[in-house]
Amino acid sequence: MELLLDHVSKSFKDKHAVEDFCLELTPGVWGLLGANGAGKTTLMRMIAGILHPTAGEVVYDGVPIRKLRERYRNIFGYLPQDFGFPREFSVKEYLMYVAALKGIPGQQARQRIRELLEQVSLSGVSHKKITRLSGGMRRRVGIAQALLNDPEVLILDEPTGGLDPGERVRFRNLLSEFAQDRIVLISTHIVSDVEYIATCHAMMGNGKLLATGTTEELVSQVEGRVWNCMATADRVAEYENRLQVISLRNEPDGRVSIRYLADNPCTGDSVTVMPRLEDLYLWMFPQNMAGEIGREEVSA
Amino acid sequence: MRILGLELKRVWLARRTWILLVLALLLSVLLAYLPVTYCYSNGTDEAGNPVNLTGLASIAYEKERQASAAGLVTPGRVREAVETYQDCLRAYGVTESYDLPEGVYEREILPIAPLLHGVKEAFADPDTGMAPALMEIEPAMLEDYYATCEERIVSLMAMECPDSLQAQHKAVEMYDRVGKPFTVYPGMNSTVMDYQNIMGFLVLLCCVVMAAPVFSADYQSGADDILRCTRHGRMRLGAARVGAVLLISGTGFGICAMAYILAADSLFGWDCLGTSIQMTYSIVTLADITIGELQWIFAAAGLLSVLASVSFTLFLSARCKSMVMSLAAALGFCMAPVVVCMAIPGAAGAWICSILPASGTSIQASFLYALTDFVFLQVGEWAVWTPVAMVGACILEIPLFSFLAVRSYARGKV
Repeated sequence: MELLLDHVSKSFKDKHAVEDFCLELTPGVWGLLGANGAGKTTLMRMIAGILHPTAGEVVYDGVPIRKLRERYRNIFGYLPQDFGFPREFSVKEYLMYVAALKGIPGQQARQRIRELLEQVSLSGVSHKKITRLSGGMRRRVGIAQALLNDPEVLILDEPTGGLDPGERVRFRNLLSEFAQDRIVLISTHIVSDVEYIATCHAMMGNGKLLATGTTEELVSQVEGRVWNCMATADRVAEYENRLQVISLRNEPDGRVSIRYLADNPCTGDSVTVMPRLEDLYLWMFPQNMAGEIGREEVSA
Repeated sequence: MRILGLELKRVWLARRTWILLVLALLLSVLLAYLPVTYCYSNGTDEAGNPVNLTGLASIAYEKERQASAAGLVTPGRVREAVETYQDCLRAYGVTESYDLPEGVYEREILPIAPLLHGVKEAFADPDTGMAPALMEIEPAMLEDYYATCEERIVSLMAMECPDSLQAQHKAVEMYDRVGKPFTVYPGMNSTVMDYQNIMGFLVLLCCVVMAAPVFSADYQSGADDILRCTRHGRMRLGAARVGAVLLISGTGFGICAMAYILAADSLFGWDCLGTSIQMTYSIVTLADITIGELQWIFAAAGLLSVLASVSFTLFLSARCKSMVMSLAAALGFCMAPVVVCMAIPGAAGAWICSILPASGTSIQASFLYALTDFVFLQVGEWAVWTPVAMVGACILEIPLFSFLAVRSYARGKV
């Protein structure tokens, strides 16, 4: 089983959203990482068959998906980034509706819906109108519908937006269980969502594939470039101006631990630390750092 | 079938659907009652004092007074009625019935008035179309009343369609086939049909408002992205949606039309339905039907027009990115026949009005007015009467726009 993105491009008038993107997706969880506006959603919509590539093809097991049509959609599950629901349905009614569209027989659909509602912790609200649910609950309904037909190819675009930390963990576990012998592609700019569950990652920027590999392979690119140093609180602003800071952490002794990216140490007390996927992300997309970093408090 | 059932449920569960349908049903019953409120007559009470009667009392009074006129409209009966009319006016030394002293019209003319319908028109000047006064008509000429009517359709068509001999021949041929003598059963008037037209237009608007968001609302909310990635989420879903909306709109219109007709006929009386259409509209109307038949034929034509308009609306909905856009465009097309009818005179206007999906139930260019009119469309050597063209266009448009709606949705290039 493989899903091949064969030199896929997509242009909207004079804007190139995706450019000559080549990637072979094999069974396992794949993380598609990229900054906002990198072209992740456009790429996912092409994989979903909602958008047609301007050039190139999306090929499943050697056959272009435009030829497979219904057969491809039959093994496909999709959770878009922004999606709505028909206002008139309850959770259960909506899932029954999607199950019918996915061609799942009634009795089997009821059984599957019961299981999925349990897994996404929505059993208690199955008869509630979707419009009355919170954002996180709606997202979970979205996840449930994507899993309804036990898809071989599952595409999730920013699936954890609106989920609280507990729900995120449950979602990651659910996905890890589900991903056996299936292709799961998760697009996100929240690196921690995919760092531990994805077997491979694809880094995307300005519509292009920048890098691909396992967490270890990718992280090795920033090995020796992630540093940690200590500074007094009054010097933090100065460091922030000088360094590509990843995170700041207040230590119990009043000083601040600074994690930063650089080819060489910028202070005398800097020590190299084990790089993480997030470090690579920030190395590749430095323009996003201002929005990403935050000061962490250390609990006693 | 399962998807169609779920789509029916989905459309039906939408609050706007049943609010619009309930509103349409209430309006239908209300509109059926409104013509009653316009009925007015001057009568006398048991003591012989003059009284003003309105509503149902007026209808009952007039029906009672005109009971003797009911039946076949034979030339002999028309002649007698004209003679009675002329004698009465001569006796009071007037030339028009509205100059008669108070109470005389009700007593002398009202009972024979239904038989006088169309007499002046039948004797209209063939060159100018001007109708003479009843006092100018020689009663002896009424012995060949229906021959006079047949001559009138010839002269009328020569004036209406001077450039189309085919239309003239066709009209004469059609009128020859109309069963004569006509029949009249007093009590109902053309206002009832006018209000059925308004009812049809309002129900059409309700159905269009219901159909306009069917595809576009999902595009707008993003719900569509999920649905079109499912196995049956394209052609079958599109077809099920079109089927569900057509079914609900058609059933809704059918119920409203039936409610209107049953309510109107109950109020005005079932006995009036046997009246020939010529005894309510023009004496040379081409259709060979009674008022009762006209009600149902008009309802059937209205149903086709509603279904054509709804399928066109669904096509717009499948092409528009937002609900507001699809709704505005659909309502614009519902109003189009009215605008075209006023703005584009002549053959071009007649053609456009006949082809537009909403024309069957439009306010000014409806099937009803086309059926009581003498407009023909020239198609090569053929002359096609506009009501036939309207029905034909709707029959073609329903599958055409339904197919285009499904295709547009399935391709998803919005």
